[in-house]
Amino acid sequence: MGRYVISRLVRWIPSVFILLLLVYALVYFGAGDPIKLIFLQAPGDVAYDPARVEAIREAAGLNRPFLVQFWDYILNVAQGNFGNSLVSGRSVNSMVAAALPVTLKIGLAAILIVSLVGILLGVIAALNQNKWLDNLIVGFALIIWGIPVFVAGPLIIVFMVLVLNLNVPYGWAGLFDVKVIVPLLVLGLNPMALIIRQARAGVLEVLSEDYVRTARAKGIPNYQVVMRHIMRPVLTPVVSQIGLLVIATLNNSILIEKVFGLPGLGRMTETAIKSSDYPVILAIVLIFSIVVMASNLLVDISYPLLDPRAAAKKTEDE
Amino acid sequence: MSDQAIPLQQEEKQFSLAKDAFIRLVANRLAIVGMVLVAFLFFVAIFGPYLTPYDFLSQDLMARNQAPSWQHWFGTDDLGRDIMSRVIYGSRTAVVVGFSTVSFSLIIGLFMGALGGYFGGKVDAFVVWLIDITMSIPSLLLVIVINVSLKPPLVNWMDAQFLATGNEFYRNTIWVDFVLVFGSLALIKWPKAARIIRGQILSIRNKNYVLAAEALGVPTSKIVRRYVIPNAIGPIIVYISAALGEAMVLESSFSFLGVGVRPPIPSWGNMISDGLRIWQLYPHVLAAPAAVLAIVTIAFSFLGDGLNDALNPRQWK
Repeated sequence: MGRYVISRLVRWIPSVFILLLLVYALVYFGAGDPIKLIFLQAPGDVAYDPARVEAIREAAGLNRPFLVQFWDYILNVAQGNFGNSLVSGRSVNSMVAAALPVTLKIGLAAILIVSLVGILLGVIAALNQNKWLDNLIVGFALIIWGIPVFVAGPLIIVFMVLVLNLNVPYGWAGLFDVKVIVPLLVLGLNPMALIIRQARAGVLEVLSEDYVRTARAKGIPNYQVVMRHIMRPVLTPVVSQIGLLVIATLNNSILIEKVFGLPGLGRMTETAIKSSDYPVILAIVLIFSIVVMASNLLVDISYPLLDPRAAAKKTEDE
Repeated sequence: MSDQAIPLQQEEKQFSLAKDAFIRLVANRLAIVGMVLVAFLFFVAIFGPYLTPYDFLSQDLMARNQAPSWQHWFGTDDLGRDIMSRVIYGSRTAVVVGFSTVSFSLIIGLFMGALGGYFGGKVDAFVVWLIDITMSIPSLLLVIVINVSLKPPLVNWMDAQFLATGNEFYRNTIWVDFVLVFGSLALIKWPKAARIIRGQILSIRNKNYVLAAEALGVPTSKIVRRYVIPNAIGPIIVYISAALGEAMVLESSFSFLGVGVRPPIPSWGNMISDGLRIWQLYPHVLAAPAAVLAIVTIAFSFLGDGLNDALNPRQWK
């Protein structure tokens, strides 16, 4: 297991290196001179003086060749230093330290709740295959599957405020505050559809297996058949989707945190993009890919634990 | 299914693949709803200029923020522009971006997938590696970075070209927005198409009937035409339908964040973003584009699910 984790890390490092190089090159050659940007964004009477700009560039080491600067950046990152924001001047580390927990907490809570509810709905749908309950759940999954969060969120807010006369859920007061419920729900909509479909398909596949028929024939009570013989193999295809869910949740957090006023990573991304604050953007790219990589790794590690057959099949595939 | 069973079955039923799939698709009521809605969307997008009651840019400051009425079916926004006309023009933006994205990602995906599947070995390993990275990076973020960083230099270049050549083509920098949006989307959307085609080639390569055909000296082009394409066409159609819907949603996401197609060109995303500022007083400004986008995505879900059931019957039930 240890060797497997290490080999995965070894494969991941070059790809994240290339990703960082790509993003660095994009902002280096595209977004323009950062010092000039600082001057243009500076408040009030700071005059744009070419000589001063040149002096600052020299002092900050921005006159050096691209690859030298990139290497310097990588060395800093390797030591855990992401530099300073171009806009606020704050260290990116402290910004991330404040924002990351918000996004992680909401994202993880959403994935957890949605997985539980989704598996439940998927299993119910499959056990009632082609009856009205199944059609209802499948139809519900289809409806929530594609709806973008920035459509669902505002529509729910408008509905809550104008029709139900409730307060707008805005801001962040910890994970166990009522304000969290609506953003959590919205963030979980698309993932829930995926989980329902996977769980339903998984159960339908298992239902026709011989060992299920045997268990039924032996007279094992229905709920025990479901819990012991059906649920366990169903978990594997569901768990395999968690990597996708994490990517979707991170993407959606960029879109949704503005709507609900959450001070998380998504909000930070949005403001950093608007002001071309590239140290922040680079840090976020790196954090996102670490989170995605870690969740993919967790999924791969948990496969054989959930289903020994998957381990055997996996080696066959490769 | 054993190999001997196939000729027997064909004698029983002489349905072509397409007809068979079509019958299954029509039997699915939700898929029909989705198909009708998607067809309506394309109709509106193509004939938009003849359908809009008002120009999407013309402002009527006497009629700002009007609630829906017979003159303005969806009401007017804070500049007195007719929201229905803007929603219709937004559908053009979405459809243009959707189709360009899907075409480009199909071209890249088919090429890469065929490359990997056909050559195998190191080439294949490289293709798989590229697919893996592309699928595991936070795609939305990368696309946003591409859009933000490449737009200013491209616009500057267009301006310089216009000044140098006087060619009217370079004057309209709106194209930069569109090209960047669908170009960057194609860059993250190709792996699925590549996977489909690669998987088909790999699975078919060692089938007995292909080996037999090869042994008989059937040229590769004919094997591709007779065996690879018919096998891959179903998943590819499902891919196209899903990717169209996704690309339209992503286009709106960018405009929502303010990095995609810029105002005054209407996109559902920037209309929703505008509506968010004033929804407490004028909820229709937000609700109209949001509801339309919601309906379009649901239509694509229904259609995609129906196509999936019709074309890949073995995958699900």
